[in-house]
Amino acid sequence: MELYEFAWLVPLIPCICFVLAGFIGHKTPQCGGLIAIAGAAAAFVMAALVSYGYYTSDLYKAAEPFVQNMDWLVVGKITIQFGIYIDTLSCIMMLFASFISTLIFIYSLGYMHDQEGRRRRYFAEVSLFLTGMLGLAVSSNYLEMFVFWEIMGLCSYLLIGFWSFNHEEAVEKSSAAKKAFLVTRLGDVCLMCGLFILLYIFGSLDYQNIFGSIEAHKDDVLLPFAILLMFGGVIGKSAQFPLHDWLPDAMAGPTTVSALIHAATMVKAGIYLVARSYPIFTQCEEAMVFVAAIGGFTAIYAASMALNNMNIKRVLAYSTLSQLGYMVLALGAGAYLISLGTKNGDANLIKLGTAGYIAGILHMINHAFFKALLFLGSGSVIHAVGTEDMRMMGGLRKKMPITAYTMLIGCFSIAGIPIFSGFWSKDLVLEAAFAPFHEGLGFGSVFCVLFVLGMITAFMTAFYMFRMWFMTFTGEPRGHCHGESPKTMTFPLLILSVFAILSGLVIMGNFGYYVARSLKTSMPTAGIFVEKGMDVVKEIFTTPATYVALVLAIVGIAIAFFMYSKKAYDPEKFDQDKKPLYYRIVAKRYYFPEMYNQISWKLGYGVAKGVEAIDKQLIDGTVNGLSNAVVGGGDGLARVETGYVRDYAAYVALGVLILMGIFAVIFIYGGGF
Amino acid sequence: MDFPILSILVIVPLVGALLTLFMGGARAPKAKFIAAAFSAVTLVLAVYLLTIKPEDLADLTENYVWFKVSGVVKMNIIFQIDGLSILMVFLTALLVFLVVLFSWHEENNANYYHSLLLAMEVGLMGVYMAADYFLFYIMWEVTLIPMFFLISWYGGPRRHYSAIKFFIYTHVASVIMMIGIFIVVFSAHDGSHAVSFAFADVAANSALSEFMQIFVFGLLFFGFAVKMPVPPFHTWLPDAHVEAPTGGSVLLAGVMLKMGSYGIIRICLNQDIFSLAFGFWQPVMIGLGLFAMVYGAYACIAQNDLKKMVAYSSISHMGMVLVGMGCMSEIGIQFAIFQMFAHGIISGVLFMVCGIAGHNFGTRDMRLLGGMAGKFPVYATFMMFGFMASLGLPGLMGFIAEFGLLYGLWTYLAAHSLEWLIVFGLLDMMLTAGYYLWAMQKTLFGKLTDKIDLEHCHDIAKNEIAVLAVLCGLIALFGIMPSVAMDFITPYSSVLGPALEALL
Amino acid sequence: MINMGFFLVLAAALFAIGLFGLLSNKRGIVSLMCIELMLNAANINFVTFASFKSDATGQVFVIMSIAVAAAEVAVGIALMLNAYKMKKTTEVDKLSTMRW
Repeated sequence: MELYEFAWLVPLIPCICFVLAGFIGHKTPQCGGLIAIAGAAAAFVMAALVSYGYYTSDLYKAAEPFVQNMDWLVVGKITIQFGIYIDTLSCIMMLFASFISTLIFIYSLGYMHDQEGRRRRYFAEVSLFLTGMLGLAVSSNYLEMFVFWEIMGLCSYLLIGFWSFNHEEAVEKSSAAKKAFLVTRLGDVCLMCGLFILLYIFGSLDYQNIFGSIEAHKDDVLLPFAILLMFGGVIGKSAQFPLHDWLPDAMAGPTTVSALIHAATMVKAGIYLVARSYPIFTQCEEAMVFVAAIGGFTAIYAASMALNNMNIKRVLAYSTLSQLGYMVLALGAGAYLISLGTKNGDANLIKLGTAGYIAGILHMINHAFFKALLFLGSGSVIHAVGTEDMRMMGGLRKKMPITAYTMLIGCFSIAGIPIFSGFWSKDLVLEAAFAPFHEGLGFGSVFCVLFVLGMITAFMTAFYMFRMWFMTFTGEPRGHCHGESPKTMTFPLLILSVFAILSGLVIMGNFGYYVARSLKTSMPTAGIFVEKGMDVVKEIFTTPATYVALVLAIVGIAIAFFMYSKKAYDPEKFDQDKKPLYYRIVAKRYYFPEMYNQISWKLGYGVAKGVEAIDKQLIDGTVNGLSNAVVGGGDGLARVETGYVRDYAAYVALGVLILMGIFAVIFIYGGGF
Repeated sequence: MDFPILSILVIVPLVGALLTLFMGGARAPKAKFIAAAFSAVTLVLAVYLLTIKPEDLADLTENYVWFKVSGVVKMNIIFQIDGLSILMVFLTALLVFLVVLFSWHEENNANYYHSLLLAMEVGLMGVYMAADYFLFYIMWEVTLIPMFFLISWYGGPRRHYSAIKFFIYTHVASVIMMIGIFIVVFSAHDGSHAVSFAFADVAANSALSEFMQIFVFGLLFFGFAVKMPVPPFHTWLPDAHVEAPTGGSVLLAGVMLKMGSYGIIRICLNQDIFSLAFGFWQPVMIGLGLFAMVYGAYACIAQNDLKKMVAYSSISHMGMVLVGMGCMSEIGIQFAIFQMFAHGIISGVLFMVCGIAGHNFGTRDMRLLGGMAGKFPVYATFMMFGFMASLGLPGLMGFIAEFGLLYGLWTYLAAHSLEWLIVFGLLDMMLTAGYYLWAMQKTLFGKLTDKIDLEHCHDIAKNEIAVLAVLCGLIALFGIMPSVAMDFITPYSSVLGPALEALL
Repeated sequence: MINMGFFLVLAAALFAIGLFGLLSNKRGIVSLMCIELMLNAANINFVTFASFKSDATGQVFVIMSIAVAAAEVAVGIALMLNAYKMKKTTEVDKLSTMRW
């Protein structure tokens, strides 16, 4: 038995913890918290063992996935299986999801300690959440993946709505949860339709079967629709434009839940789906331009909304959207390059495309670490000051130094300052976006625009992240503060800050090769990545774009410093009654929430009222009308019954006469005897 | 055939119904024990059926001559069981038993209540096991009468209107169905032998012209469609549900509606009799099914009464069954049967939850409720579980059926170049999620309501918890391991499905 | 030769007289008598056909119908007696309470 054959244990352990915490959590210490932590930690250990086992096995060397299946549903010619599919991508997903979740769960002990009995529900639900993510990572086919995908949707609904009742803001909290579920559901429904098409084309949803037979079906007219519909699922889950609006609202949940959704689970599922479906996505390069464009636009669009937001968690939420846009941009550009490369037989394009793929994955990992760090740090701040409004904070650096400096590391990382992890991956992302233009390909101009947007986003990111840091931690204190958070909360912050610094450095090792193996397992033609780690680093430092991005980031930080720390330019000027038009539009989130409301209200409730009216008036009216007609007709005919026997006798005689007449006519026309 | 298990499945509840019927007065409180015992025996027998290997089920067929006039007419009592009916029989036995437990505290003429429940079971078992048109029709009508009295004796304020509406609506439909049955039976009669109503005899001799096939299919389909119900013939259902007692609603939605779809598969989709009619009716069935799905879902959104909303959701879900049957393919038939089973269990949970709201909180009006999850967590858990199962959350039963049916629809649409129609299926999924989440938000979440007297509200009772837990357990079991139920259906659908596909 | 027509005309005339009496007369007892007339007209038809076709079936039916007529008269008279007891009249137009 090899170690990786136990991969099914990885999602199963947190699932058992979910059941345990759900049913007997209140009888255990920390209301199930210890169960959840033990489960997540065990899952991490298991994931590490599986990854190690896979990494040292012959399968890895031969670029083969490890697959283990059992029949789940057999209908006619279609067999849906339930199993595990282990390659380097699933190993990466399992590792960082379970590791970050473990830290978040530990942090929750401190953060949620005042929630008493409700913690049982909390810890059960986060365990289920982790089950969903780990199950998604090891799934061996799309339907199985969809099952876990939706379980995460449910958990996000439950956790965002953690305060949906017994809370003074219950109404807002529950609507935020509902919105999250419905908006992602719209994406899920698209994804499901995409799966129908896949199943119809390939006769199977199994990764191996589909990837193996993609060549035979690549000209199917329905395939581009399948790709776009699947990407619809990604738009919903990874909160890309135009289905991005649930994510800021999802801040209604506890901060730990936000950290979980943004760093370890949920939104990463969409990125995972794109990466996993590369063999399918690369069959249609036009669709990939669309994917990259959505990513690039989301990046700058979300960053613009973070510029003037006063809510510390919302700023982080918008930054997540923006960073997810980066990942989608990199993956889309990479798929575009690979697609053209395989079509033209150009190995250089395939290599560049693989680099885009690696950039997307690496940014996902780095983002997981620094975003978990930032969210947990903001949670620590909120825990201490009791508000999420940054105008009520300030000068907290002295009172909570650990939180302040770990968050500073996170900010450096996300802003893309060298050595910190975000720098490496952001640079690779921008490089991938630039590559199609550089190579002079068909949609090169589009990618050039996307590259510029990415550059501007890098500047905006640096600005708004440091705006947040300066407003929170420097200047005069503007509210009360309990002081530094307990050890259960600062310990995960310290660990995460180490990773936020170091996780980018894996690129110096053979990380690129390691990730590209996953692509090679599903697409033997692609996944060529021969460069050594140090070559990548050298390339990064010899590209001019790197220095442009760096300068932009530093300028952004400097502006934030002068505006919010030195107060050289008073930001309050924006906050007057006569706000600039753009400021107001951004503060209204480009009127998107209102548009959603209007559309769903008109399309949902408006039509429903019409249907109700048809039901009541038309259909029931007809039915009741019919019955009234029968009763009324009966009443009318009853008048014939006079009660006089002689009348009746006359009717009988008349009837006989008529019958005789009829018979006579028939008889005569029938020709007599 | 050593042990006539199928007829015993009918006789046991019949004896129970008669016994409880005569337990009036002082003995009435004991009626529930009798009812529980008899329905438990039926359930045990039904579970025993599940342990029999599918290929041996045909050996259980029982064939008695009821009466015959030599050379003229022969009436049979034929019971048989196969992949189509076995899950329905199990569902009937299960739901009746659980309803008896659920209504443990019913005190208003309890003996009649239980007698009616068991009488329902007699009729339902008969319908699902009959292999003779005449027996089928009689049993079909037998189910009508207990339900009528359940509504008009134990129902809400508008119970008489609803009961009459229910009765007339479905009776008119079944009379039209009867005309269809008579045409089918007598057309198969060539004068050389006695008229026989047995399914097998009729199928062997049927000789309808193409026009008559289409026409008679229509008569039968109308009869079944009203029962399912398919809009625009559905307005009896919301009224009946709103007024019916909880137990009645559970049986009505859980197994009675399935009689309609069961009849369509068993009688309409008979390739020996209606082989020329399928091409004409297939698009009608798909179209009506899609219409029912979307129409039912939209109607749900407009409702304020929790129970009425769930009633409309039944219409929507049964529309999905109709779509599956309309696909006339193996996958469509298989998942249509699975959806019938799934909806039977899930709607049981839903109607019990609604009934508890009406009983424990005094109102089912969503505008008056709010924030109940904080005060009644157990209730909220069950309600959420039921709603999530019904909106097709993966891992639960509803998802499997929904995915399979929509995929069946997709294969039909793709084969006919009508791909865009899938939008309605997806719209239905969105709307379903929408109305359930909205309902949860209004009743369970938000501010704790001050519009009802919370002092007198109480969380759910022990027996109710037990019943709901059993149903929820089954929902999860069949959601995680759908093949447990699928294996019963496959022997049937893998014969009928390819046969239908070959005809189209 | 007396052919079948004479008997049939006699029966038809008898039936017409009975029908006229029934429709024109208010008195219950007379009505009953008129019904008897019509019944006997039918009997004559039966016997006529039986005789001319040499088939005994018609005569059997007549025996049967006479028996029925006897029973009917018994019931009818009883009804009239009871009606008289309650309403002090046998006029059929006064006995019109059993309508809707």
